[in-house]
Amino acid sequence: LASAASVVLCMDVGLTMSNSAPGEESSFELAKKVIQKFVQRQVFSETKIELALVLFGTDSTDNPLSQDGQYQNIRVHRHLMIPDCELLIEIENQVQPESQQGDCILSPEHVSLIPCRNLTLQAEGKKYDCLNIALLTDLNTQTNEESLEVIIKNLTQSGITVQFFLPFPVEEDKEGQGDSERRDPGHPGTGKGLSREQKKNKELVKEMMLSLDVEDGLDEIHTFRNAIEELCMFKRVERRPVAWPCQLTIGSSLSIRIIGYKAVTDEKLKKMWITVDAQSHQKDDVKRETVYCLDDDNETEVQKDDIIQGFRYGSDIVPFSKVDQEQMKYKHDGKCFAVLGFTKQSTIRRNQFMGSQIIKIFAARDDEHAGVALSALIRALNELQMVAIVRYAFNRISNPQVGAAFPCIKQDSECLMYIQLPFMEDLRQFTFPSLENKKFTPSDAQLSAVDSLIDSMMLVEEDENGEQRDLFKPHRIPNPAFQRHFQCLHHRAVSPGTPLPPIEPWLKAALDRPEVITERCQDPLDVLKRKFPLTEVEKKKKLKTSAQIFGKESEESEAKKVKEDEAEEYNLADIAEGSVTSVRIRGRAGRLNNPRRWARFCQQLTHRIEQLLSNKNTQYYMKSITCIQAFREQSVKLGNAEHYNSYLQSLKRSIPNRGLEVFWELLVQDGLTLISKDEVEGSSVSKAEANQFLVAEEKKEEAAPAPVEDTGDVDDLVSVQFLFLTFLYFYLNTCLCNCCDSNGVKTISCVSTWGVCDVLSSQI
Amino acid sequence: MLACSIDTKNYKITGRDSLVFLVDASKEMFIKGEDGEPSNFDMTMQVVRTVYTSKIISSDRDLVALVFYGTEQSKNPRNSFKHVYVYHDLNEPGAKRVQEVDALRGEKGAKLAAETIGSGETSLGDALWCCANLYSDIKLRLSHKRLMIFTCRDEPHGGDSVKDRQARTKASDLKETGVVIDLMHLMKPGGFNISLFFCDIVSPPEDESEMGLQLQPSDKLEDLQKRVRAKELKKRTLARLNLCLGEGINVAVGIYATAVAARKPGSIKLYRETNEPVRSKTRTFHTQTGSLLLPSEIKKAQYYGGKEIVMERDEVDAIKKFDDPGLFLIGFKPMEKLKLLHHIRPAVFLYPEEDEVKGSSCLFSALLKKCSERNVFALCRFISRRNYPPRFVALLPQNEELGEGKVQITPPGFNVIYLPFADDLRTLDPPQFPSASQTQVDKMKEIVSKLRFKYRSEGFENPVIQQHFRNLEALALDMMAPEEIEDLIMPKVDQIDQRLGPLVQEFKDLVYPAYYNPESKPAAKRKTADTGGGAEKKPKVELTEDELKAHVQNGTLAKLTVPVLKDACKQFGVRTTGTKKQELIDALIARLGS
Repeated sequence: LASAASVVLCMDVGLTMSNSAPGEESSFELAKKVIQKFVQRQVFSETKIELALVLFGTDSTDNPLSQDGQYQNIRVHRHLMIPDCELLIEIENQVQPESQQGDCILSPEHVSLIPCRNLTLQAEGKKYDCLNIALLTDLNTQTNEESLEVIIKNLTQSGITVQFFLPFPVEEDKEGQGDSERRDPGHPGTGKGLSREQKKNKELVKEMMLSLDVEDGLDEIHTFRNAIEELCMFKRVERRPVAWPCQLTIGSSLSIRIIGYKAVTDEKLKKMWITVDAQSHQKDDVKRETVYCLDDDNETEVQKDDIIQGFRYGSDIVPFSKVDQEQMKYKHDGKCFAVLGFTKQSTIRRNQFMGSQIIKIFAARDDEHAGVALSALIRALNELQMVAIVRYAFNRISNPQVGAAFPCIKQDSECLMYIQLPFMEDLRQFTFPSLENKKFTPSDAQLSAVDSLIDSMMLVEEDENGEQRDLFKPHRIPNPAFQRHFQCLHHRAVSPGTPLPPIEPWLKAALDRPEVITERCQDPLDVLKRKFPLTEVEKKKKLKTSAQIFGKESEESEAKKVKEDEAEEYNLADIAEGSVTSVRIRGRAGRLNNPRRWARFCQQLTHRIEQLLSNKNTQYYMKSITCIQAFREQSVKLGNAEHYNSYLQSLKRSIPNRGLEVFWELLVQDGLTLISKDEVEGSSVSKAEANQFLVAEEKKEEAAPAPVEDTGDVDDLVSVQFLFLTFLYFYLNTCLCNCCDSNGVKTISCVSTWGVCDVLSSQI
Repeated sequence: MLACSIDTKNYKITGRDSLVFLVDASKEMFIKGEDGEPSNFDMTMQVVRTVYTSKIISSDRDLVALVFYGTEQSKNPRNSFKHVYVYHDLNEPGAKRVQEVDALRGEKGAKLAAETIGSGETSLGDALWCCANLYSDIKLRLSHKRLMIFTCRDEPHGGDSVKDRQARTKASDLKETGVVIDLMHLMKPGGFNISLFFCDIVSPPEDESEMGLQLQPSDKLEDLQKRVRAKELKKRTLARLNLCLGEGINVAVGIYATAVAARKPGSIKLYRETNEPVRSKTRTFHTQTGSLLLPSEIKKAQYYGGKEIVMERDEVDAIKKFDDPGLFLIGFKPMEKLKLLHHIRPAVFLYPEEDEVKGSSCLFSALLKKCSERNVFALCRFISRRNYPPRFVALLPQNEELGEGKVQITPPGFNVIYLPFADDLRTLDPPQFPSASQTQVDKMKEIVSKLRFKYRSEGFENPVIQQHFRNLEALALDMMAPEEIEDLIMPKVDQIDQRLGPLVQEFKDLVYPAYYNPESKPAAKRKTADTGGGAEKKPKVELTEDELKAHVQNGTLAKLTVPVLKDACKQFGVRTTGTKKQELIDALIARLGS
């Protein structure tokens, strides 16, 4: 689709559109896809192009021209405006095939007039540089040949361009050549099987397109499938190049006026994620605040104005205010592209290119003399195989760089390519052991195995005509991260509440080895595998267990910990090991002295245990055991056995009913019995009772019902994470502050101090 | 400089470097040279200061000590040695230490030295013993232990064989604990004869061939005096992952960054009153209730097409995940297919990790050899870290290169060049010009040839960082003004002009017409130049309510400019808190939309 300032999409939703050969998508589905992809592109690239959507062949009629029975069965779904997510959702849900008979549908040519007039009505005072009408139809309509001329006249006068999207190609032979290998020969709807109307209309369309004042009008007729393929990727990130005018200088008296353009740069997405409240989805509800405090026991808060900057100088820290820094820092004359000297191209190592961009340097526009002077330099460098080493400064504020300007001569243009080079400080001169080591020297057989692998995997090959063919060009692939990003955004916008879709197959394929290569390299790879024995060295688990993380953390500031916790991916396996649980509760020692809080904590913990136990699976059992273990330990420590004992007793009672015998055995093995008087004074359980507690049940053996295989990964994730977070909260946010008012409601000002009040805890 | 030569020996380094200066404080050291040359002691202090200040910047976690022997006064941890004066024990260097060394320099310094340490009897054995104690008192893990003796006396004990023997025993004890003893012999009338005594004290040279070959003292000193103001970085992998050639063929590789843009070291926030460091705490809370928000109470959103699209935090990560980290071989391409344009970020370096997968080195080595021989590069899909989207990279073979003295210049391995995606390439509209004639090109070639030089990548210092370090030094050491820096990336205009001579004018005559001045700015293209100055602004575009409503309805408000939107807000009495475009639009929609 041409990029126009405004586009009217006219889609046929009539009866015949839903016809399809078995196993194939109907014309309607295809046309809808085309529209979806197109709108989606516009929404996410945030172009200012306005779109209108007109459906025809609809059951109802809704358009400003529908008077006196004219223009029936046409619905203006949306007037010209910038497309938004709403439109995407509407297309997804509201554009459905409708049932009007073909003969009732007005000719597409008529339809095209509606938006035109429509526009003129609407667009009073507005000026459109360019209007484009895209018609998606199967041409199964009755048409009025006489009107054709009027239409053509009308279109040419108003400078409106037209594009047709049809389920079949207009010219069979033309379709044949292009990308013949990509398309299966049985292209649906090709020529054959067209109705009389379709054939007639096809000729009409052809005639119309040819008579319009457009270059090669037939190029504006597309098939649905072609369009989908072209539109499947989101538009690449496009930025208008910004010219950087400067002067290339050699010494004091030779200068050439130049302009620079960024030619290659590591492009990033324009938008960042913003943080919103989980409930309201409002970003204004969330505020991030950074406070500073002294490293003393009270964590005395320090005002922002009372902070100065310092730098480490050996074992000392030197205060260095921003003002002083500004005054003492390196200053330079600003914008500059000055030659320091010339050197052989071979002395510049490819792996020492720095920075994230390449700047192309041309002579200043409309300055022929500069053009000639620069051309002389470019050609001289090219002939001598040399480069210019230059000092480059973008402007006064930016830091100057050293870089190389390579000559680049192409058929239609000459330029210098500037690439940043490293400073001495940037280089890390690491040395590595030589590979010329008897232990590692490959044998001849091994080398030839690698040789044949390379042979089989060459991506550049010559075809019969001696022309080179590159099977894999990364610089033609759109950044998959962007594609995936927009795919997910689109999905979430159109169908909220559903999980994200998998990566699109075309994208996956684009990132993979070309199929030809995969096939060809199979045998050489097998040989390679045999010739080179590779054995993985058994290692201790490398992933940090959560316990290690928290163990280490206890030395660090709590503020930092929160950050780390957020950053660290929750490793479920580790949490399952229970290290987190125990560490957490241990960490909380002394903060749960408050009986009320302890009670609430116990309640939450048992609730969690119950949740875990609802999954009858050893892994979950282990987690529960760990929790109970920690529960017990903490109870003993706090000298409060009541909650633990009562829970364990109730748990025991429920064992037979819930088929948790296996779990109970584990509990017995770990000796997790009641807390007796010997351990905690207040306990109402004697030692003997405690010992007996685990044994008693054994007699009543019952066949345990087969464990239900319900792993419920997602639930688990949620619950374990929740458990984790509960602990996190308890560990971090004890209410240390005194600023909660009598109702336990927190004032905003007290958020900055540590601690949290009951309001928050009750939310958990 | 010193550390470099050590580094080549050990590939894996943990722990800190340590260096003890053992300086002779005998009378001979204080004798001034002819023509007012500084005394040996003065020179030594100069060297110590340089090393201190270098260390502070390059590796401030290293430990240094300064010990005098042959002194009158004694000062050491347990005061068990006479005539040994520990001026600085093994610790991280700081500003105070530099100033203390400064105090010993020059005329005044010699006086101060005479007062505080004085010159007395010499027992190198005791001094070495004392140094051994310094090392053993350190509880930190040390990677390198180095001791440097600065003296101008080749017979420190004047022929006392007992003391000589004692010193030899102590030296060998020290060497056994891994201390490298180095001698910095200074100028002595009649020459310094190492074979008299010191040959038994110092560690044997690392290389057999260097045996018997004695470096000139001045060379070593010069080496030491070279100031290096660059942070030294330990060799660490960025990641260890697999290079997958095919199903089940995984070569373990380590990824190293060999060139990373150096920045000024980060600042530390201090409390103005006491200059003590402060900690920062960042928290997220709810603006209305003021309660802290847990990670679970936060979601992420992006605004597109008039809608907030909300995702869970882990979904945001999941979107970025394509596969597990690793390199996956796509195929090979001839080297000429790698274009200059294929550059989006600095390259990294690949080296096999035999410790992870046995046999990696062999396959890696074979691959390297063949790629290099056939002049091809390997094209791979690369995911560097968890939840990172893929990039395509070219693995360029790099053979090991050795320089003089078998010092490795380039290590063997693959350079990983990041390749751009379609989005990273920008379409330009290059201006068209006629090409230069051969005469013009030839003249330029003369100019180019005149300004030839040999480029070395380590030849340019970053003036911004260098200035910063000097400023810091000046502040820390209470200097009047920071040391001058030499801006190496400034063109030496005078030299260039001189070398080119008349060539410039000749070239200019060939390419520029007489009236042309490249320095002058092109005629300003101002459309509104005729209306007197900026006094008269563009006529205000006032929108009627209907127009505005139409804009709201069509979602075309974004097409209007900010001033117009602001006026519209004023006109319709819409109060806005923000000044950003989106905020203005939101406010107008809220007012007129319904």
